[in-house]
Amino acid sequence: MTTTLTKPTPSVRIKNSTIKFTQVCLFCIFSWACHIVAIKLNSPIPGSVIGLAVLLILLSMKLVPEKMVNNGATWLISDLLLFFIPPVVSVIKYQDILEHFGTVLLSSMLIASTIVLLGTAFTVDRLFKFEHQYRAKKQLQGAI
Amino acid sequence: MNISGLGIFCLLLTLAGYYSSKILYRRHRKVWFAPIIAAPVVILAVVASLHIPLAGYFTYTHWLAALLAPATIAFAVPIYRERNLIKQYPITLTVGVVVGLLLGLGSSWLVTYFTAMPAELSNSLMVRSVSTPFAIEATPAFGGVPGLTAMLVLLTGVMGMLICEPLFKVAKIKSSVAKGMALGASAHGAGAAKATEIGRQEGVIASLTMIFTGVAMVILAPTFAALIH
Repeated sequence: MTTTLTKPTPSVRIKNSTIKFTQVCLFCIFSWACHIVAIKLNSPIPGSVIGLAVLLILLSMKLVPEKMVNNGATWLISDLLLFFIPPVVSVIKYQDILEHFGTVLLSSMLIASTIVLLGTAFTVDRLFKFEHQYRAKKQLQGAI
Repeated sequence: MNISGLGIFCLLLTLAGYYSSKILYRRHRKVWFAPIIAAPVVILAVVASLHIPLAGYFTYTHWLAALLAPATIAFAVPIYRERNLIKQYPITLTVGVVVGLLLGLGSSWLVTYFTAMPAELSNSLMVRSVSTPFAIEATPAFGGVPGLTAMLVLLTGVMGMLICEPLFKVAKIKSSVAKGMALGASAHGAGAAKATEIGRQEGVIASLTMIFTGVAMVILAPTFAALIH
Protein backbone atom coordinates (compact mmCIF):
# COMPACT_ATOMS: atom_id res chain seq x y z
CA MET A 1 0.00 0.00 0.00
CA THR A 2 1.41 3.40 -0.92
CA THR A 3 0.47 6.40 1.15
CA THR A 4 1.01 9.69 -0.63
CA LEU A 5 1.44 12.69 1.59
CA THR A 6 1.16 15.08 -1.33
CA LYS A 7 -2.22 15.42 -3.00
CA PRO A 8 -2.50 13.58 -6.34
CA THR A 9 -2.47 15.86 -9.35
CA PRO A 10 -5.82 16.49 -11.11
CA SER A 11 -4.83 14.38 -14.12
CA VAL A 12 -3.98 11.39 -11.88
CA ARG A 13 -7.29 11.79 -10.06
CA ILE A 14 -9.23 11.88 -13.32
CA LYS A 15 -7.37 8.78 -14.51
CA ASN A 16 -8.14 6.92 -11.25
CA SER A 17 -11.80 7.90 -11.37
CA THR A 18 -12.06 6.74 -14.99
CA ILE A 19 -10.54 3.37 -14.08
CA LYS A 20 -12.91 3.00 -11.13
CA PHE A 21 -15.95 4.01 -13.20
CA THR A 22 -15.05 1.62 -16.04
CA GLN A 23 -14.58 -1.25 -13.60
CA VAL A 24 -17.92 -0.53 -11.89
CA CYS A 25 -19.59 -0.55 -15.35
CA LEU A 26 -17.96 -3.92 -16.09
CA PHE A 27 -19.29 -5.26 -12.79
CA CYS A 28 -22.79 -4.04 -13.74
CA ILE A 29 -22.70 -5.65 -17.19
CA PHE A 30 -21.37 -8.92 -15.75
CA SER A 31 -24.01 -8.83 -13.01
CA TRP A 32 -26.78 -8.29 -15.57
CA ALA A 33 -25.47 -11.21 -17.67
CA CYS A 34 -25.42 -13.48 -14.60
CA HIS A 35 -28.96 -12.42 -13.77
CA ILE A 36 -30.14 -13.38 -17.28
CA VAL A 37 -28.33 -16.74 -17.09
CA ALA A 38 -29.89 -17.48 -13.68
CA ILE A 39 -33.37 -16.76 -15.03
CA LYS A 40 -32.82 -18.81 -18.22
CA LEU A 41 -31.53 -21.78 -16.19
CA ASN A 42 -34.33 -21.41 -13.65
CA SER A 43 -31.56 -21.43 -11.04
CA PRO A 44 -32.59 -21.46 -7.36
CA ILE A 45 -29.35 -19.56 -6.65
CA PRO A 46 -29.59 -15.88 -7.65
CA GLY A 47 -27.41 -14.47 -10.44
CA SER A 48 -25.37 -12.31 -8.06
CA VAL A 49 -24.15 -15.32 -6.06
CA ILE A 50 -23.39 -17.24 -9.29
CA GLY A 51 -21.44 -14.16 -10.45
CA LEU A 52 -19.47 -14.11 -7.19
CA ALA A 53 -18.49 -17.77 -7.65
CA VAL A 54 -17.57 -17.28 -11.33
CA LEU A 55 -15.43 -14.21 -10.60
CA LEU A 56 -13.68 -16.00 -7.73
CA ILE A 57 -12.85 -18.92 -10.05
CA LEU A 58 -11.60 -16.55 -12.78
CA LEU A 59 -9.40 -14.73 -10.24
CA SER A 60 -8.02 -18.00 -8.82
CA MET A 61 -7.17 -19.30 -12.29
CA LYS A 62 -5.51 -15.93 -13.04
CA LEU A 63 -7.78 -15.51 -16.06
CA VAL A 64 -8.81 -12.13 -14.63
CA PRO A 65 -5.99 -10.13 -13.03
CA GLU A 66 -6.82 -8.69 -9.60
CA LYS A 67 -5.83 -5.24 -10.87
CA MET A 68 -8.66 -5.31 -13.39
CA VAL A 69 -11.38 -5.47 -10.73
CA ASN A 70 -9.74 -4.12 -7.57
CA ASN A 71 -10.74 -0.43 -7.67
CA GLY A 72 -14.29 -1.06 -8.82
CA ALA A 73 -14.82 -3.76 -6.20
CA THR A 74 -13.46 -1.55 -3.43
CA TRP A 75 -15.86 1.25 -4.36
CA LEU A 76 -18.89 -1.06 -4.64
CA ILE A 77 -18.16 -2.62 -1.24
CA SER A 78 -17.26 0.55 0.64
CA ASP A 79 -20.43 2.36 -0.52
CA LEU A 80 -22.73 -0.64 -0.04
CA LEU A 81 -24.78 1.30 2.50
CA LEU A 82 -25.78 3.87 -0.15
CA PHE A 83 -27.36 1.14 -2.25
CA PHE A 84 -29.62 -0.13 0.47
CA ILE A 85 -30.96 3.20 1.65
CA PRO A 86 -33.79 3.08 -0.97
CA PRO A 87 -35.13 -0.30 0.30
CA VAL A 88 -34.90 1.04 3.87
CA VAL A 89 -36.98 4.11 2.94
CA SER A 90 -39.78 1.82 1.78
CA VAL A 91 -40.46 0.89 5.45
CA ILE A 92 -42.59 4.04 5.58
CA LYS A 93 -45.30 1.72 4.25
CA TYR A 94 -45.04 -0.29 7.46
CA GLN A 95 -44.95 2.68 9.84
CA ASP A 96 -48.01 1.46 11.79
CA ILE A 97 -46.60 -2.03 12.42
CA LEU A 98 -43.23 -0.64 13.46
CA GLU A 99 -44.77 1.90 15.85
CA HIS A 100 -47.02 -0.72 17.39
CA PHE A 101 -44.41 -3.45 17.78
CA GLY A 102 -41.33 -1.22 18.15
CA THR A 103 -40.52 -2.07 21.77
CA VAL A 104 -41.10 -5.81 21.42
CA LEU A 105 -39.12 -5.82 18.20
CA LEU A 106 -36.11 -3.94 19.56
CA SER A 107 -35.93 -5.91 22.81
CA SER A 108 -36.21 -9.27 21.05
CA MET A 109 -33.59 -8.22 18.51
CA LEU A 110 -31.30 -7.20 21.37
CA ILE A 111 -31.63 -10.63 22.98
CA ALA A 112 -31.12 -12.39 19.65
CA SER A 113 -28.04 -10.32 18.74
CA THR A 114 -26.49 -11.01 22.16
CA ILE A 115 -26.95 -14.75 21.58
CA VAL A 116 -25.27 -14.59 18.15
CA LEU A 117 -22.37 -12.41 19.28
CA LEU A 118 -21.52 -14.41 22.40
CA GLY A 119 -22.26 -17.84 20.92
CA THR A 120 -20.07 -17.27 17.87
CA ALA A 121 -17.30 -15.57 19.85
CA PHE A 122 -17.12 -18.39 22.45
CA THR A 123 -17.12 -21.17 19.84
CA VAL A 124 -14.49 -19.52 17.67
CA ASP A 125 -12.33 -18.58 20.67
CA ARG A 126 -12.09 -22.21 21.83
CA LEU A 127 -11.70 -23.62 18.32
CA PHE A 128 -9.06 -21.11 17.27
CA LYS A 129 -6.84 -22.04 20.22
CA PHE A 130 -7.19 -25.69 19.24
CA GLU A 131 -6.44 -25.15 15.53
CA HIS A 132 -3.53 -22.86 16.35
CA GLN A 133 -1.91 -25.51 18.61
CA TYR A 134 -2.64 -28.21 16.04
CA ARG A 135 -0.89 -26.20 13.32
CA ALA A 136 2.07 -25.48 15.57
CA LYS A 137 2.40 -29.18 16.42
CA LYS A 138 2.21 -30.15 12.74
CA GLN A 139 4.87 -27.62 11.81
CA LEU A 140 7.09 -28.90 14.60
CA GLN A 141 6.74 -32.47 13.36
CA GLY A 142 7.54 -31.29 9.84
CA ALA A 143 10.70 -29.66 11.17
CA ILE A 144 11.86 -32.89 12.82
CA MET B 1 -43.24 19.44 -8.67
CA ASN B 2 -43.76 16.90 -11.43
CA ILE B 3 -42.79 13.26 -11.03
CA SER B 4 -39.36 13.43 -12.65
CA GLY B 5 -38.46 16.61 -10.75
CA LEU B 6 -39.43 14.87 -7.54
CA GLY B 7 -37.41 11.83 -8.60
CA ILE B 8 -34.28 13.91 -9.12
CA PHE B 9 -34.82 15.65 -5.78
CA CYS B 10 -35.05 12.27 -4.02
CA LEU B 11 -31.91 10.95 -5.73
CA LEU B 12 -29.98 14.10 -4.74
CA LEU B 13 -31.38 13.90 -1.21
CA THR B 14 -30.20 10.30 -0.87
CA LEU B 15 -26.72 11.04 -2.26
CA ALA B 16 -26.34 14.19 -0.16
CA GLY B 17 -27.59 12.48 3.01
CA TYR B 18 -25.20 9.59 2.55
CA TYR B 19 -22.03 11.44 1.50
CA SER B 20 -22.43 14.30 4.00
CA SER B 21 -22.74 11.87 6.91
CA LYS B 22 -19.74 9.97 5.57
CA ILE B 23 -17.64 13.16 5.50
CA LEU B 24 -18.92 14.28 8.93
CA TYR B 25 -18.12 10.89 10.45
CA ARG B 26 -14.62 10.89 8.98
CA ARG B 27 -13.98 14.30 10.59
CA HIS B 28 -15.68 13.89 13.94
CA ARG B 29 -15.93 10.13 14.68
CA LYS B 30 -19.13 10.61 16.69
CA VAL B 31 -21.31 7.54 16.52
CA TRP B 32 -24.48 9.48 15.62
CA PHE B 33 -22.73 10.84 12.49
CA ALA B 34 -22.01 7.27 11.33
CA PRO B 35 -23.53 6.86 7.84
CA ILE B 36 -25.39 3.74 8.97
CA ILE B 37 -27.29 5.82 11.57
CA ALA B 38 -27.38 9.42 10.32
CA ALA B 39 -28.05 8.83 6.60
CA PRO B 40 -31.20 6.66 6.88
CA VAL B 41 -32.60 8.75 9.76
CA VAL B 42 -32.21 12.08 7.91
CA ILE B 43 -33.49 10.73 4.57
CA LEU B 44 -36.46 8.96 6.18
CA ALA B 45 -37.31 12.12 8.14
CA VAL B 46 -37.32 14.29 5.00
CA VAL B 47 -39.36 11.78 2.97
CA ALA B 48 -41.88 11.36 5.80
CA SER B 49 -42.26 15.04 6.68
CA LEU B 50 -42.70 16.14 3.04
CA HIS B 51 -45.17 13.24 2.49
CA ILE B 52 -43.26 12.15 -0.62
CA PRO B 53 -45.04 9.18 -2.23
CA LEU B 54 -42.85 6.05 -2.36
CA ALA B 55 -43.32 5.66 -6.13
CA GLY B 56 -41.89 9.15 -6.57
CA TYR B 57 -39.01 8.38 -4.25
CA PHE B 58 -38.11 5.28 -6.24
CA THR B 59 -38.21 6.90 -9.73
CA TYR B 60 -34.42 7.23 -9.87
CA THR B 61 -33.22 5.86 -6.51
CA HIS B 62 -34.09 2.32 -7.61
CA TRP B 63 -30.93 2.52 -9.71
CA LEU B 64 -28.94 2.77 -6.49
CA ALA B 65 -30.61 -0.38 -5.17
CA ALA B 66 -29.81 -2.07 -8.50
CA LEU B 67 -26.10 -1.75 -7.60
CA LEU B 68 -26.59 -4.27 -4.76
CA ALA B 69 -26.15 -7.16 -7.22
CA PRO B 70 -22.82 -5.96 -8.71
CA ALA B 71 -21.67 -5.25 -5.12
CA THR B 72 -22.42 -8.87 -4.21
CA ILE B 73 -20.22 -10.05 -7.09
CA ALA B 74 -17.48 -7.66 -5.95
CA PHE B 75 -17.21 -9.68 -2.70
CA ALA B 76 -15.20 -12.21 -4.73
CA VAL B 77 -12.24 -9.81 -4.63
CA PRO B 78 -11.71 -9.74 -0.82
CA ILE B 79 -12.15 -13.53 -0.67
CA TYR B 80 -9.41 -13.90 -3.31
CA ARG B 81 -7.18 -11.33 -1.62
CA GLU B 82 -7.37 -13.13 1.75
CA ARG B 83 -6.99 -16.66 0.35
CA ASN B 84 -3.87 -17.31 2.47
CA LEU B 85 -5.70 -16.49 5.71
CA ILE B 86 -8.54 -18.81 4.65
CA LYS B 87 -6.09 -21.62 3.92
CA GLN B 88 -4.43 -21.11 7.33
CA TYR B 89 -7.51 -21.60 9.47
CA PRO B 90 -10.04 -23.60 7.44
CA ILE B 91 -11.64 -25.39 10.43
CA THR B 92 -12.13 -22.28 12.57
CA LEU B 93 -13.57 -20.29 9.66
CA THR B 94 -15.93 -23.04 8.49
CA VAL B 95 -17.24 -23.89 11.94
CA GLY B 96 -17.51 -20.20 12.83
CA VAL B 97 -19.57 -19.48 9.71
CA VAL B 98 -21.86 -22.47 10.34
CA VAL B 99 -22.33 -21.60 14.03
CA GLY B 100 -22.85 -17.91 13.25
CA LEU B 101 -25.40 -18.66 10.55
CA LEU B 102 -27.35 -21.15 12.65
CA LEU B 103 -27.30 -18.90 15.72
CA GLY B 104 -28.43 -15.90 13.63
CA LEU B 105 -31.36 -17.82 12.23
CA GLY B 106 -32.10 -19.78 15.42
CA SER B 107 -32.06 -16.73 17.69
CA SER B 108 -34.45 -14.87 15.38
CA TRP B 109 -36.76 -17.86 15.23
CA LEU B 110 -36.63 -18.23 19.02
CA VAL B 111 -37.63 -14.64 19.78
CA THR B 112 -40.44 -14.63 17.23
CA TYR B 113 -41.68 -17.91 18.72
CA PHE B 114 -42.14 -16.25 22.11
CA THR B 115 -43.57 -12.94 20.92
CA ALA B 116 -46.71 -12.14 18.96
CA MET B 117 -45.63 -10.20 15.89
CA PRO B 118 -47.40 -9.95 12.53
CA ALA B 119 -46.20 -12.62 10.07
CA GLU B 120 -44.57 -10.20 7.61
CA LEU B 121 -42.49 -8.75 10.45
CA SER B 122 -41.44 -12.04 12.06
CA ASN B 123 -40.69 -13.61 8.65
CA SER B 124 -38.56 -10.62 7.69
CA LEU B 125 -36.57 -11.04 10.92
CA MET B 126 -35.16 -14.45 9.92
CA VAL B 127 -32.40 -13.15 7.65
CA ARG B 128 -31.58 -10.06 9.75
CA SER B 129 -28.01 -11.06 10.60
CA VAL B 130 -26.70 -11.39 7.01
CA SER B 131 -25.62 -8.51 4.78
CA THR B 132 -28.39 -6.62 2.93
CA PRO B 133 -27.80 -7.83 -0.66
CA PHE B 134 -27.96 -11.45 0.55
CA ALA B 135 -30.83 -10.77 2.96
CA ILE B 136 -32.98 -9.23 0.24
CA GLU B 137 -32.39 -12.25 -2.00
CA ALA B 138 -33.09 -14.74 0.80
CA THR B 139 -36.06 -13.12 2.54
CA PRO B 140 -38.85 -14.14 0.08
CA ALA B 141 -38.14 -17.82 0.85
CA PHE B 142 -39.18 -17.16 4.46
CA GLY B 143 -42.18 -15.05 3.44
CA GLY B 144 -40.38 -11.83 4.38
CA VAL B 145 -40.75 -8.42 2.75
CA PRO B 146 -37.62 -6.78 1.19
CA GLY B 147 -38.35 -3.28 2.60
CA LEU B 148 -38.88 -4.47 6.18
CA THR B 149 -35.94 -6.85 5.86
CA ALA B 150 -33.60 -4.04 4.79
CA MET B 151 -34.69 -2.02 7.84
CA LEU B 152 -34.26 -4.94 10.27
CA VAL B 153 -30.85 -5.80 8.80
CA LEU B 154 -29.79 -2.20 9.32
CA LEU B 155 -31.05 -2.14 12.92
CA THR B 156 -29.27 -5.43 13.62
CA GLY B 157 -26.04 -3.97 12.29
CA VAL B 158 -26.29 -0.85 14.44
CA MET B 159 -27.17 -2.92 17.50
CA GLY B 160 -24.24 -5.30 17.07
CA MET B 161 -21.91 -2.35 16.61
CA LEU B 162 -23.08 -0.77 19.87
CA ILE B 163 -23.21 -3.85 22.13
CA CYS B 164 -20.11 -5.74 20.96
CA GLU B 165 -17.45 -4.06 23.08
CA PRO B 166 -19.17 -4.32 26.50
CA LEU B 167 -20.13 -7.94 25.66
CA PHE B 168 -16.59 -8.90 24.66
CA LYS B 169 -15.30 -7.34 27.87
CA VAL B 170 -17.81 -9.15 30.11
CA ALA B 171 -17.29 -12.49 28.33
CA LYS B 172 -13.48 -12.01 28.29
CA ILE B 173 -13.19 -12.55 24.54
CA LYS B 174 -9.69 -11.50 23.54
CA SER B 175 -8.66 -13.28 20.32
CA SER B 176 -9.01 -11.19 17.18
CA VAL B 177 -10.42 -14.13 15.22
CA ALA B 178 -13.26 -14.63 17.70
CA LYS B 179 -14.10 -10.90 17.78
CA GLY B 180 -14.00 -10.63 13.99
CA MET B 181 -16.12 -13.69 13.36
CA ALA B 182 -18.70 -12.76 16.00
CA LEU B 183 -19.05 -9.26 14.54
CA GLY B 184 -19.24 -10.49 10.95
CA ALA B 185 -21.81 -13.16 11.78
CA SER B 186 -24.03 -10.98 13.94
CA ALA B 187 -23.72 -7.47 12.52
CA HIS B 188 -22.57 -7.99 8.87
CA GLY B 189 -21.34 -4.74 7.20
CA ALA B 190 -21.68 -2.56 10.29
CA GLY B 191 -19.91 -5.27 12.29
CA ALA B 192 -17.11 -5.41 9.74
CA ALA B 193 -16.70 -1.63 9.93
CA LYS B 194 -16.59 -1.82 13.74
CA ALA B 195 -14.13 -4.72 13.58
CA THR B 196 -11.86 -2.66 11.30
CA GLU B 197 -11.82 0.02 14.01
CA ILE B 198 -10.68 -2.62 16.54
CA GLY B 199 -7.92 -3.91 14.22
CA ARG B 200 -7.03 -4.87 10.64
CA GLN B 201 -7.14 -8.62 11.21
CA GLU B 202 -10.51 -8.37 12.98
CA GLY B 203 -11.87 -6.37 10.03
CA VAL B 204 -10.71 -8.84 7.39
CA ILE B 205 -12.11 -11.80 9.32
CA ALA B 206 -15.42 -10.03 9.93
CA SER B 207 -15.76 -9.23 6.20
CA LEU B 208 -15.02 -12.82 5.20
CA THR B 209 -17.49 -14.16 7.77
CA MET B 210 -20.14 -11.72 6.56
CA ILE B 211 -19.67 -12.83 2.92
CA PHE B 212 -19.66 -16.57 3.68
CA THR B 213 -22.71 -16.44 5.99
CA GLY B 214 -24.52 -14.34 3.38
CA VAL B 215 -23.81 -16.74 0.52
CA ALA B 216 -24.74 -19.73 2.68
CA MET B 217 -27.97 -18.05 3.76
CA VAL B 218 -29.02 -17.36 0.15
CA ILE B 219 -28.29 -20.94 -0.93
CA LEU B 220 -29.87 -22.59 2.12
CA ALA B 221 -32.85 -20.25 2.60
CA PRO B 222 -35.44 -22.58 0.97
CA THR B 223 -34.22 -25.49 3.15
CA PHE B 224 -34.26 -23.44 6.35
CA ALA B 225 -37.68 -22.04 5.51
CA ALA B 226 -39.06 -25.55 5.00
CA LEU B 227 -37.64 -26.60 8.41
CA ILE B 228 -39.11 -23.63 10.25
CA HIS B 229 -42.61 -23.60 8.79
